[in-house]
Amino acid sequence: MLDGLCIKTKMRGCNPSSRFSPAFTFGVGLLLCGASALAEGTPIPHGTLELLAENQWIAAGHKLDLGLRFQLEKGWHIYWVNPGDSGEPPRVEWQLPTGLTAEAIEWPTPRRLETSSIVDFGYEDAVMLIVPIHAEASLAAQQPARLGAEVRVLVCSREMCIPGEAQLSLTLPIKSQPPAPDARTLDARNIALFTATRKSLPRPVPGNWRFSVADANDSFVLTANLGRQITGHQITQAFFFPLAESQIENAAPQKMLPVAAGFRLTLRKSDQLLKPIQRLKGVLVLSADRAYLIEVPLSKSGAARSKAAAAVESTRYDP
Amino acid sequence: MKRSTLYPMLVALVLCTALPVISAARVGEAAPEFTATASNSKTVRLSDYRGKYVVLEWHNNGCPYVRKHYNSGNMQRLQKQWTGRGVVWFTILSSAPGKQGYVIATEENDYLAKMQAAPTAALLDPTGEIGHLYDAKTSPQMVVINPQGVVIYNGAIDDKPTTDLNDVPNATNYVNLALEQAMAGKQVETPATRPYGCSVKYVDSTH
Repeated sequence: MLDGLCIKTKMRGCNPSSRFSPAFTFGVGLLLCGASALAEGTPIPHGTLELLAENQWIAAGHKLDLGLRFQLEKGWHIYWVNPGDSGEPPRVEWQLPTGLTAEAIEWPTPRRLETSSIVDFGYEDAVMLIVPIHAEASLAAQQPARLGAEVRVLVCSREMCIPGEAQLSLTLPIKSQPPAPDARTLDARNIALFTATRKSLPRPVPGNWRFSVADANDSFVLTANLGRQITGHQITQAFFFPLAESQIENAAPQKMLPVAAGFRLTLRKSDQLLKPIQRLKGVLVLSADRAYLIEVPLSKSGAARSKAAAAVESTRYDP
Repeated sequence: MKRSTLYPMLVALVLCTALPVISAARVGEAAPEFTATASNSKTVRLSDYRGKYVVLEWHNNGCPYVRKHYNSGNMQRLQKQWTGRGVVWFTILSSAPGKQGYVIATEENDYLAKMQAAPTAALLDPTGEIGHLYDAKTSPQMVVINPQGVVIYNGAIDDKPTTDLNDVPNATNYVNLALEQAMAGKQVETPATRPYGCSVKYVDSTH
């Protein structure tokens, strides 16, 4: 709460197309909010964007998680990797020293955003996109490394969209190996943010779950068998967020029918889908804190019993 | 916590079921007929243009995706190029009064003059009737209708779903492709795409 208030206070004293230096903004933030609740942010339309690092160092041969934390004013949103019927996802261009490589964005489970006759997928309030940075083993401990990110983001309300751009950077020391954790090297706020964000990422499905998808004329029918432990009536909600655009009709209701050890979800095909698809890939949300990444090959027509189902290994994905 | 997230989703699902399913303007099917008033105060009836190719362009002058195509001159170029080849081009304004992109006739005429736009006509659709008839989701969504009155393309203007003017020169324009291929007697290779852009600012359907 306090965190959000700080941002607002800071924004008011800040021209969105700010000519103030980051140091100045930082100073103002410090004065207004106090050091403990400080949230450094670069203005974007109707919000702020911040580049954070989980650890305050880079260790050769290790992974470092960076976070792009968006905080938005009430009523404004940004988009998931598949934006749905309108909009576009944030895009990042990294400027990294040799030996450092950025991996794909880890996208938290989105929300369904309904606007007139369309449905978008995105995030309101605050969201952090984690980007793992890989440091080569041969990376020599040297001058501190500057990690730069040029972010383009479309910020929308129900009424309008505003494109924004932000240039962010962090400078971190390079160590030959990770230092022993102690109070001076750990940033409690950052660690809490990364921990909370990881909880909002879709998880791999449990090994005993089975999925199949059948082509039923104007729909795809996703059948889930969740094993013996869970019986059908325990699942009361299921919603599928498709990773690929134009496979299913985003605005169509997804009809869920509980069956013996799971459920069946009917997804209406998109009007833009003119060729058969090979697989359905996306995020299946069963309740607020249970979201899974699924990738299910399409069964041969009528073969609804097919057990061919694949769960992907991690939450990192490209559409 | 769980309940607070699920409840709106549930309400949304219930609302969806209650709405009529409109899947008009499907590729390969007859383009729905409409009558509209143009900003030049003429009455336009789609069926009067049977025998010609017709392009429908959903417009909202405040949408950054639309502005990309007008500020770069791309949309005007397309309008001139294709109307010069006998194609009928209707810019359709489905924004509701009070919403972004809503204009009255004189404002639209000023805009067309200022931007040097050259559609056959700009059609005023403040009730969203034509928009809903075609299930237009975004601006700038584009629909191409062949001389037989059949929809041969419905979707995005091109393959660069961004607001960046620099993307215009390198984009593959789907409207050009559809018209060129159809006029050459070929199948349209990409007849449907996700119509990127801003949501069409319809009159609120929920109260």
